[in-house]
Amino acid sequence: MEVFADAFTYLIARREYVLATLTDHFMLVIWATFFVILIGVPLGIIISRTNRLQELVLGSVGILYTIPILALLGFLIPIMGIGTRPALIALVIYGLLPVVRNTCVGISQVPAMTKEAALGMGANNLQLLFKVEIPLTFPVIFAGIRTAMVMTFSLATYAVFIGAGGMGSIIMRGMRTYNTGMLLAGIIMVVITTVLLDRVVGFIDNRVQKKFSLAD
Amino acid sequence: MTREISVELQDVVKVYDTTKVVDGVNLSIEKGEIFVLIGPSGCGKTTTLKMINQLIPHTSGNILVNGMNVKELDAVELRRSIGYVIQYIGLLPHLTIEENITFVLQLIRRPKKEQKKRAHELIETVGLPASYLKRHPRELSGGQQQRIGVARALAGDPEILLMDEPFGAVDPLTREQLQNELLRLQETIQKTIVFVTHDIQEAFKVGNRIGIMRNGKMASVGNAMELVKNEDEFVRSFVGQGAIFDALDNIPVKRVMENDIPNVREGEPFKLKTAMNGWENIIVLDQNGAGVGYVSLEDVGPDGVIPAGAVRPLLPGCSPDLSIKKAVEQMLYGGRTWLPVASPENVFEGIVTFQACAGLLSREAG
Ligand SMILES: Nc1ncnc2c1ncn2[C@@H]1O[C@H](COP(=O)(O)OP(=O)(O)O)[C@@H](O)[C@H]1O
Ligand SMILES: [Mg+2]
Repeated sequence: MEVFADAFTYLIARREYVLATLTDHFMLVIWATFFVILIGVPLGIIISRTNRLQELVLGSVGILYTIPILALLGFLIPIMGIGTRPALIALVIYGLLPVVRNTCVGISQVPAMTKEAALGMGANNLQLLFKVEIPLTFPVIFAGIRTAMVMTFSLATYAVFIGAGGMGSIIMRGMRTYNTGMLLAGIIMVVITTVLLDRVVGFIDNRVQKKFSLAD
Repeated sequence: MTREISVELQDVVKVYDTTKVVDGVNLSIEKGEIFVLIGPSGCGKTTTLKMINQLIPHTSGNILVNGMNVKELDAVELRRSIGYVIQYIGLLPHLTIEENITFVLQLIRRPKKEQKKRAHELIETVGLPASYLKRHPRELSGGQQQRIGVARALAGDPEILLMDEPFGAVDPLTREQLQNELLRLQETIQKTIVFVTHDIQEAFKVGNRIGIMRNGKMASVGNAMELVKNEDEFVRSFVGQGAIFDALDNIPVKRVMENDIPNVREGEPFKLKTAMNGWENIIVLDQNGAGVGYVSLEDVGPDGVIPAGAVRPLLPGCSPDLSIKKAVEQMLYGGRTWLPVASPENVFEGIVTFQACAGLLSREAG
């Protein structure tokens, strides 16, 4: 159990460094989530309109999703070099699938009858989208964002391989220097923050689902 | 007498793939009437209705709304100007009742205050408490949701209402109640209503005129009595056995009521009018105008004095909204050939005779 004591000693002694990696990690995930929403939601809406595009896009995003992260990071280095940008791109690629898929499925499942009611009242296409389709689909979209966020948070641990920092740096250093206390400190940080994030986002998600469940 | 035409269909055709689901329909719907479209499932009623507000574009022919060709109008604007009550209600589940009612007003960006005011007016119009405005559709019963569907269609105060089986999803008792409410509402709002149903009873009840559709074609158009007397085999089979009684059950007494009946106030002498219109009896009214009895012209003394013993009791007065079938029933049970008609305040309005009821058939068709 000595190793745990070492880990905690490390966390306390190097708290500034630990906090800095944590901030980097969070910023990476927040930006990734931002871009995932920015790209994923409109993409999901667009492909929900045409079946052929839907198969093509969901298929390609699905394939990207199955590429191992180290392979993807390795692939990005010759194209973009190292640093935050390629890391961000990798995270966005992984985060896209749940958001695109949920948005697309959600929008496709808005009952034709409901859409017809809105059109019959005189809604134009934009009004249909913003007053009916998106609000009705919001819980499903949000569930996709939750998945994307928690997943990119956990994947961001690998960002260190491409020089983008984050909490993976602690683990990496621990490994390189055979410093088991430091290694364990990194693992503890990653596990605790991932669980915490999952809890917090899950709590918000539950509130969203509850608030919107009136809709059914 | 030329009536104003609100909606006109000229040789309207709708083709899906290669099948004509609406096949050369011609129709003139008059301003202020309830026109019922009826026919078996899949005959093209909904398609016809949706072509009027261009939710479905027609393949050929012309559709005129208030004299303007819908093809030349902006479809979105057209729909905003026409009320639409969708089959299966179709309230927006994520919006409150208030937001549902004012949906059209939101689309055209009316001020919030006006929306709120209109929502309160309309929920009262359809007979629900204002507290329901804050609820969501799923917290309302089917019948209540139907009422909201009607309120929503009225929000923009459209001249024309399209109603697609609006009372289809509720139990028979509620349906009857909703039909009565619609008729009462229509007396004040006087909209042009195109009403789709597959229920012939409902058609007789709410329709000023009824169009029967078959395989995308208009098989027959007319009022209830004209349809009952139609010789066409399809129309006969659709309208059904005993349809005449169904129709009579839905035509109100006021349609055949005679209201120029000689009458006298109790205690006052009766002055013989020159125009008795062949009436042999005089109705005696109390000071409030309620019928108390009738007296034969022969029994009226000189100077118009009415001997107290000569006044014979009336049958209980019926409402002008009572169906002719029920009125005839009351005559048969009461052993008379006529009934007094009284307003809800029990003021004598006229009488309805067995003869007039029987004459309805020939007269309506004439
Ligand atoms: N989008 C469509 N594509 C092909 N056929 C359709 C479509 N919509 C309706 N139909 C067909 O058109 C016919 C008329 O439908 P509809 O107007 O809904 O009938 P009704 O309202 O009288 O029951 C039906 O046979 C139906 O199957
Ligand atoms: Mg239909």
